[in-house]
Amino acid sequence: MIDNRSQHQGGFRIFYACLLVMGANYFTVTAVHSYPQFQEFTEKHSGQAANCAMCHSNGNGPTGTGPGQIDGLNEEELKRLEEARKAFQPGQKIDSPILNEFGNKIVEELGRKEVLALVKEPEALATKLNKNLDTDRDGIPDAEEYLDGTDPTNKFHGHPWKMFLVNLNRYKQHILLTFAAVLLLNYGLGHLIKGIAVLTEKR
Amino acid sequence: MIDILLYIVLPYLAVLICIIGSIYRIRKEPMTYSALSSQFLEARGLMWGSLPWHIGISLILIGHILPFLFPGQWNALLSNHAMLLAVEGLGYGLSALCLLGLVVLGARRLISSRIQSVTTTMDLVILLLLLFQVVLGMLTAMRAQYGSMWCTGTTVPYLWSLVTLNPDLSYINDLPHAMKAHIVGAWILVLLIPFSRLIHMFSVPISYLTRPPQNVIWANPRHQKEKAEVFARDEARRHFIKASCGVFGGLVLLSVGALDKIGQFFFGPRLSFSEETELMESKLKRLELTAEQRKLEVERRENEFILVAALKDLDREEGKYFIDYQMQPAIAFKNEAGLPQLISAKCTHLGCTVGNKADKEGRILCPCHVSYFDIKTGTPNQGAPAEAPLPILGWVVLNSKGEVLASRSKTGEINGTIATQDAETAQVFIRRADVTG
Amino acid sequence: MVETQKVDSTEPETGNASTGDTKPALFSFLLERFPIEKMNFHYMVEKKEVPVHRMSWGYYTGGLTFFFFMIQVVTGLFLLFYYQPTVSDAFLSVEYINNHVSAGPLIRNMHAWSSSAMIFFATVHLIVAFAMKSFEKPREITWIVGVLLLFITFTFGFTGYLLPWNQIAVNATKVGLQSIDNLGQYLGPFSHIPVQLRETFQGEASVGQSTLGRFYAMHVVILPLALVALLGLHLFQVQLHGMSKGVDEKTKKTEKFFTAFFFKDLEVWAYAFLALFVLASCIPFESFLPFPLLEPYNALGATPPGIKPEWYFFFVYYPLEMFNFLFIIIASTIVVAILFLTPWIFKGTSRRNLRFIALAVSAYLIVMTIFGEQIYHWWKH
Repeated sequence: MIDNRSQHQGGFRIFYACLLVMGANYFTVTAVHSYPQFQEFTEKHSGQAANCAMCHSNGNGPTGTGPGQIDGLNEEELKRLEEARKAFQPGQKIDSPILNEFGNKIVEELGRKEVLALVKEPEALATKLNKNLDTDRDGIPDAEEYLDGTDPTNKFHGHPWKMFLVNLNRYKQHILLTFAAVLLLNYGLGHLIKGIAVLTEKR
Repeated sequence: MIDILLYIVLPYLAVLICIIGSIYRIRKEPMTYSALSSQFLEARGLMWGSLPWHIGISLILIGHILPFLFPGQWNALLSNHAMLLAVEGLGYGLSALCLLGLVVLGARRLISSRIQSVTTTMDLVILLLLLFQVVLGMLTAMRAQYGSMWCTGTTVPYLWSLVTLNPDLSYINDLPHAMKAHIVGAWILVLLIPFSRLIHMFSVPISYLTRPPQNVIWANPRHQKEKAEVFARDEARRHFIKASCGVFGGLVLLSVGALDKIGQFFFGPRLSFSEETELMESKLKRLELTAEQRKLEVERRENEFILVAALKDLDREEGKYFIDYQMQPAIAFKNEAGLPQLISAKCTHLGCTVGNKADKEGRILCPCHVSYFDIKTGTPNQGAPAEAPLPILGWVVLNSKGEVLASRSKTGEINGTIATQDAETAQVFIRRADVTG
Repeated sequence: MVETQKVDSTEPETGNASTGDTKPALFSFLLERFPIEKMNFHYMVEKKEVPVHRMSWGYYTGGLTFFFFMIQVVTGLFLLFYYQPTVSDAFLSVEYINNHVSAGPLIRNMHAWSSSAMIFFATVHLIVAFAMKSFEKPREITWIVGVLLLFITFTFGFTGYLLPWNQIAVNATKVGLQSIDNLGQYLGPFSHIPVQLRETFQGEASVGQSTLGRFYAMHVVILPLALVALLGLHLFQVQLHGMSKGVDEKTKKTEKFFTAFFFKDLEVWAYAFLALFVLASCIPFESFLPFPLLEPYNALGATPPGIKPEWYFFFVYYPLEMFNFLFIIIASTIVVAILFLTPWIFKGTSRRNLRFIALAVSAYLIVMTIFGEQIYHWWKH
């Protein structure tokens, strides 16, 4: 029994090691983009142009020498990347330099294993994500922003109609105040016009 | 003991007497259930006293009743700082108005001989009491700031405890003396309602506000002509009063709604330490990017050769962006022969930067107006918005010792070859000679 | 009241008859447009009346444009407090306004929404004024100045678009300016002029710091000054000559410009403000663009797909994409010429026919603005 289990664990270890090697391969050798499937899906689903900056720190994706790209990382950042690459299970706090806040949250929420599996069915990412996850706090859940092809890390970017409803509720105090003010003003102006009309007619 | 007398017994007693006494007086002496107006005797002073007083006190009373009725909503409303300031400011203004009215009314009662003959002692007592109340109220507002805010935690629950017949003095125990006196004064005034002209508050002609205007005029034909004019003037005045109320109220609401935000706009944000640091970091990053571009420019002015990339890093499908001698973007590919293929990325149509990923036919796409350019020749596809081909750039390949292995001149002829052992270390350059010719 | 209205419109003509014979033509032309005897408060404010008829709503469009211009001035001044016109800092300063300044996003958003509203109402004002034949003698100067004002307004839009220095801003400006170059091929011996013109505009070979500086100066100083000066002339002429009659048939009713119409204008402005406030606080104007276009401009990367001008340029942008460049150039030159010569070309056209032309033009503008993209795709495939 005991033997069996240890063997099992060993098997897992080998599996992880393989994945790690694969991951390492990824950033040293190939120049292929990481998971453009998600981007392709969101573009197709929303009809909006999107780029890698939805989840990555660099709009051109993680490969390259620019800021937030793998070949442009410094030592400390590489360490963080290594750390983040180990987060196969959900719930691990990570801070990958090649991912933005939303990207990091996805990995935290689902774990890298799940994310890798989702590459085959990118539409499922929206349902797998926590409905309360709202990175930019603009009132539209990240899962919806992913489907809409809008920026989940910019609170001034979202589906216009959804933004309208959310903000209408958020700023209702100011809007009601302005509404009352305008009504009152126009009530006053209306009477001003009438009053002047009465006076001029008399003349 | 005395507290119980003043804040529990007195209130119940006052309200009880007020109700019974008022009903008794209205039943028994209906003719005295009025303001006992002295307008016929003296009108000018009355206008300057009575109007400010009544406008002021009715709004102030509304301001006292609202938090009592809707403490929750009231608190929510005042949590907006601009709103709080507006309410407090309005309170001060209206109290001042009350004070002015009371002083004029009091002076009138004491100075005008005609009025004095109809003035009772009770009238003077009431005037004095009211004066005290207003002054005490203002004092409280000044000493213990934001009474409109703290009342919902003190006097309001106290009043509700009275209403629910479960009196609780703990709410008002710690209030300042002025405020306590204000409370006692209020109960005494309630008590005195049936015995004074205060009873007229039950006969306020509210229906006057909505009924159509009536003008009482002489039936004499002499006045016939004036009649229309008076009518018009009165009607116009009604309109103007409504107009000024509306415009003034609207402007106040608008400024209350906008004030807190606009004021802070000019005040400027006060960032936290970490926010400031983050901001500086991003500023620095942007500056570095700008500096990088300057560096590229200087480099292109000073150097005969500019490094594009290592030959082994070039790809057949995905090109590498670089900046040419004119500071315009260009893309480096590798061709079938393993030699570099450098092509300008500035679209010949409207100058967009062409994409760097070649399609199956070996073409790159300008995203702005959809022109496909052949990498080998630079020619655009049939019917593309771009008419001129993208220029193909010349290049030199140097080995690690700086010896020229191969080159392509501006005219397109290729000299030299690259041996496989050099391919790993060789680097691709552009040279100024190709540009200036 | 009707009588005074009639006198208003006939007086200049009789004046012309008496002075035109003895004085030079230009002088009498100007005298007609600037009648000195009417330049007083009584004539220009107290006596002015506004006809009441089914097209009366048209009289409010100019006021609305003016209102949104005032909003632009105020919000623009606010933004000046924080905006920094340098290539390295422009984008960050805009972000700073959005993220840190209290009411910053609201003010910025109001500026964006109001700019669109201003352009919208300026265009509507032009079309309605055309349909109402408000360019009729002696109001030619009002019309021409109005057309100039419209062009300035569009230039405002174009220059302001660049200032945030994000992908869409810089790339769209690049494309817009670059298209000037294409003119060269039709100019024969003067083919170098468009390039020179563009580079003067840009201040350097490609869109960069000099361009930003120039556009900034234009947007916050030169254009506002020009607009205010021309607007002064425009309003002065409007007050001097009174409201145009607007319809062919006789109008039975009029109302005083001051105060009745003026206060009604204010009422309409109040509603406009409410609408603007709700829109600006609820929908960030940039939500209509895909987010990659809102990233800071990157000189070293590819142009992202989806670069296009602001909606108010669609009516010329999509035809430009679809048809031959020369054709568009000739067509727009003709349109501009017609716009400037309208008071003389349509001198004798009845208002009924003018309305028909105006409707056709509006139909074109609406269809091209809303369905331009679909039409373009349909045309291409």
